[in-house]
Amino acid sequence: MNALGIIFTDSFDTNMEEYVERRTLASLPYGGRYRLVDFPLSNMANAGVKNIGIITRMNYQSLAQHLKSGADWDLSRKFNGITLLPPYSTQWAQAEFYENRLEGLIANIPYLRFAEEKYVIIAGCHQIWNEDLDDFVKKHIESGAKLSVMYADKVLNHQEEIDATYIKVDEEGAVTGQRVEKTKPRGYSYSLNTYCIERELLISLIEKAQRDGKKSFRRDVIRTLIEQGQVVGYEAKGIVLAIENPTSYLESSLALLESDVREALFGNENNPIITPARDSAPTKYGEEAVVANSFIADGVVIEGEVRNSVIFRGATIEKGAVVENSVVMQDTVVSENARINYCVLDKDVLIEKGRWLSGYITHPFYVKRNSRI
Amino acid sequence: MNKKHCIAMLLAGGQGSRLMPLTNYVAKPAVPFGSRYRIIDFPLSNCINSGIDTVGVLTQYQPLELNDYLGTGDPWDMNLRFGGLHILPPYQAAKGSDWFKGTANAIYQNIRFIKRYDPDYVLILSGDHIYKMNYEIMLEEHIANKADCTIAVIDVPLEEASRFGIMNTDKTGRILEFEEKPKNPKSTQASMGVYIFSTDKLISYLEADEKNPASSNDFGKDIIPKMLEDGQRMFAYLFKGYWRDVGTLDSFWSANMDAISMPEDEPEKLILNDKGWRIYFRHGYNHPQYIGETGIQRNSLIGDACIVEGDVEHSVLFSNVRIEEGASVKDSIIMDNCVIKKGAVVEYAIVDSGCEIGEDAKVGGPKDEGKLTVIAKDNKIRKNGKVKQGDIVYHEEEDQ
Repeated sequence: MNALGIIFTDSFDTNMEEYVERRTLASLPYGGRYRLVDFPLSNMANAGVKNIGIITRMNYQSLAQHLKSGADWDLSRKFNGITLLPPYSTQWAQAEFYENRLEGLIANIPYLRFAEEKYVIIAGCHQIWNEDLDDFVKKHIESGAKLSVMYADKVLNHQEEIDATYIKVDEEGAVTGQRVEKTKPRGYSYSLNTYCIERELLISLIEKAQRDGKKSFRRDVIRTLIEQGQVVGYEAKGIVLAIENPTSYLESSLALLESDVREALFGNENNPIITPARDSAPTKYGEEAVVANSFIADGVVIEGEVRNSVIFRGATIEKGAVVENSVVMQDTVVSENARINYCVLDKDVLIEKGRWLSGYITHPFYVKRNSRI
Repeated sequence: MNKKHCIAMLLAGGQGSRLMPLTNYVAKPAVPFGSRYRIIDFPLSNCINSGIDTVGVLTQYQPLELNDYLGTGDPWDMNLRFGGLHILPPYQAAKGSDWFKGTANAIYQNIRFIKRYDPDYVLILSGDHIYKMNYEIMLEEHIANKADCTIAVIDVPLEEASRFGIMNTDKTGRILEFEEKPKNPKSTQASMGVYIFSTDKLISYLEADEKNPASSNDFGKDIIPKMLEDGQRMFAYLFKGYWRDVGTLDSFWSANMDAISMPEDEPEKLILNDKGWRIYFRHGYNHPQYIGETGIQRNSLIGDACIVEGDVEHSVLFSNVRIEEGASVKDSIIMDNCVIKKGAVVEYAIVDSGCEIGEDAKVGGPKDEGKLTVIAKDNKIRKNGKVKQGDIVYHEEEDQ
């Protein structure tokens, strides 16, 4: 594998509301024990990428704590491994948040220059998939194109009111058009905003964009390449899930209750999604536990009822409590006789005895980290 | 700092013949326990939680899986530049090669390992027990007593005392007499197989013992009695807490069940969900478990990546186990990667990893009506098959 990886941790997070108030999108918990960053990172690490730069904009403390040295992905190496790339101040300029992917890349040109890999894979955290990135790079090299874009015909739980990137791919696999729209135009596919490109070429393109005062990687750099006929598409083979706003977060979480989604994300033995261990105890079902159609992590204690829900590590569902259609994050406690329906309870929440909370699938009721209700 | 205050030597070479067939391919300390652990996770986690970061693990019997499991010691935070976890297998030397003859001989052969860390104290452990213990407190007592050797003991019921090595002590805890499995026990203080020695005393007794051709080179049979005879300062340290020897299939089964729940009136419970005293383990890349629409799951521990659509009651499931719709598992231990097919019934049994119990097959029987049923690794019980209660189904290739 002769490619380095770049992961954007914040792009496309503008509609996630309070979920990302105190964390990057990349460190948003998902699927009982993961953070969104685990997906692109594991896809890259399993493909043999040894050098991964993670571009962060703000609030990257929780991300840094999650990644640590990268040892969990076998990326704590003598050379390369994981590099966190936060904004920085220089002698001449105060650090500013990156407004977009282009600025993030420009700020990290030194990192790109220092690398020795011939290619770069660029990915984000707002879509979840499990794909063979080794094949992605191989096909890119074979194609002779300047840029490859990963795409999918279907992205589950995309929200119609939110902009997405679409590309038109012809029968030969060439990308002939790109649009950013709310609904999918006819004949277009979803772009997964995941790219493969030669490193030297990427540097020269972003330097030129900077000189020309351009503002967007997607609209300026990529569109120009498409117009030149230099872009090919690579179709994702598995299921792709969107994490765009609270509704799609809940929908994409509850999608894990479908066996084909679990199989697509976690069924590939050669590409396991990796996350740091927490050394929790095994999950315990009490004398009166009633559990149906739920995805449950380790370290959980269930004494009450759980239906159609995703339960994270270390959560406790006490006697008489009923949790339905909800996501209960790490170490949160739902006390005796409380009822939770269509809720997303963030980490370390305490729902006191007998409280009833309910949202709806289109409007999940969200409870902030460390709250007590 | 080229010195450690205290290091541990963990005797992990035991064959565990009474745990057959679970120990046919793995050493006893590597036998899985409690849905996600191995027995050796308990002493290793106790060490790191007690501030002891240097452990020599003495292996001998079937070490492959144990070595893989231990790796560089990273799950227990023991991958260090100075110290950490070291696997110490028997080796060849200029004068010839030897298997470890007894527990004392195993330590004797690794005196050079001990000397490298120049510890003041050496903790000797075995990989046979399930317990959570702070060795630091025991070490403090050892130091306060100016002891040469301190032996951890646990209070056992009088009627069971004749199964253990029993310490008779004076009021200060000083050991007056040690009796191995006495017919008429004078006390109920049973040795836990946990010893702290002051290093110089340990080395001099090991060297003397090695020179004695009549010795069986064993701590319990030779070293401890000899030290007592010589009037060395030997103390018992009374441990209070859950402690079980899991050396037999029955005791192994019970301790696993203790991990689920124990009666309210039981004074010492096994609590795994203890953030102040975590038991660390090497984890796989498994995703969370999925519980289906059907089936009742109660009073059980269920591991990662399990898919459960049948009934599970009072059982311990390890990771990646599939219980199909209409299947039922009760009072049982099901290890990694097993499949219990539709309509199959497993009751009061241990099913080792990689087994498939065919549709409508029946394994074992009610707990109060007979003995434990055991199925060894990678066995396939055919559709409608029956495994009689109390049977032990060995692996096909085993020559039992």
